[in-house]
Amino acid sequence: MTLRVLDPTHEMKAAGARAALRPASLRGATVGFISNGKEGTKGYFAALDRLLRDELGVAEVVWRTKSNYSAPADAHIVDEIRNWQAVIAGVGD
Amino acid sequence: MLSMQQTTGANLAARSYELDDFAAAQEFYHAQGWTDGLPVVPPTEAAVRACLDWAMMPPDQLIGIEPVREQPVTAEKLAINAVMAGCLPMHFPAVVTAFGAMLQPEFLLHGATASTGGCAVLVVLNGPIRLEIGAGASFNALGNSDRATAVIGRALRLALINLMDVRPGGIDRSTLGHPGKFSYCLAEDEEDTTWQPLSVVRGVPEGISAVTVMAAMAPRQIMNEWTTDPREILETFAAEMRANLRHYSIHGGNYAIVIPKQLRDHIQAAGWSKRDIAEFVHERARIRRAEWADVGKGAVVRDRGDSVYAALDSPDHLLVIAAGGPAGGFGAVIPPWLGHKTKAVTAAIGACIDCEPPKG
Repeated sequence: MTLRVLDPTHEMKAAGARAALRPASLRGATVGFISNGKEGTKGYFAALDRLLRDELGVAEVVWRTKSNYSAPADAHIVDEIRNWQAVIAGVGD
Repeated sequence: MLSMQQTTGANLAARSYELDDFAAAQEFYHAQGWTDGLPVVPPTEAAVRACLDWAMMPPDQLIGIEPVREQPVTAEKLAINAVMAGCLPMHFPAVVTAFGAMLQPEFLLHGATASTGGCAVLVVLNGPIRLEIGAGASFNALGNSDRATAVIGRALRLALINLMDVRPGGIDRSTLGHPGKFSYCLAEDEEDTTWQPLSVVRGVPEGISAVTVMAAMAPRQIMNEWTTDPREILETFAAEMRANLRHYSIHGGNYAIVIPKQLRDHIQAAGWSKRDIAEFVHERARIRRAEWADVGKGAVVRDRGDSVYAALDSPDHLLVIAAGGPAGGFGAVIPPWLGHKTKAVTAAIGACIDCEPPKG
């Protein structure tokens, strides 16, 4: 005798999870960093800042840090994203 | 041999699969990454429907939406995971209430389940439901004490795995985790204490069944069999909390302490209430930042060595739980995952915690 059993998963993608369009180039762009504030992010983002400016021609890098490293970015940081051409959110743990 | 036919279950929204037998079902669920590594009860439509009927819930009833990833949780999907965990229908209302509480924003479910910190969801049962479902609060209270607490705690973990993608290396980024991730549920021994139940202390009316959920680290066991003085007994608990502040995290938050009968009897005989305990521990469980230098963390003391850090910002943040076997001068301190960034949530079973209050 066979068993008919049910799928325990959500069977769907999370809402609002579509990836943004990728920029063709970062030359002259403003790039935002959203750090979770952990110790490991400092060196990671510092190296990335240099790489973006020196090798990819990024005009400006804006550093922001979340107030709670386990929660989504604060609303005022999310509001700023519209002024950036790209954003990098690193875990840096 | 596994033969699989994918169909849509009548009346239920979940996809269904036809498998050869019980053994095939085990291999299929493990292969899909849908288990915690232990065997599961195959979730048939009849078993899932029995859970929904017991809780009087339609399959598409929304239990809540996880606020960060915006993942909805329906009664049907939660029931499937509860059946897999071994739940009988009578266990399901506690699972529903606990998961709804976990979805409250202040619990910070995404952070708690994704963190490298590796906490698990501690569940405390109060009220008449404990007796109805046989939830044990005595011997081995924090271990595998009974069927009800084992399957309720496990159901929450399976639901996190399957409904929130909280799999190791996926959303779950725990460095170590702890054994409570299999199941971390206990009942309070309300019949053998003079103290108010935890749920009543936290605002639920007396006589109403309730669950409290807390993003919690592993229990730290203490022992003090050499005094009957409540201050000395509770000093041992406070010392363990100070150790946690030094060795793990300096940030205060919800701590739970579990006080079994032997120590409880001494504290109760002296006339101390849960409030008295919380106020004493609030005063005693605190350290100076400079103490971090004693345990190898001198680099982060900086110029704030004299700053004082309390394990509890307020006595209200201590969850005092009467549970444990009758003999032994033991107790347990259960620290929070991450200070006050997550908060314990208490909810009455059968009540809607998102509903509007009555008008007028």
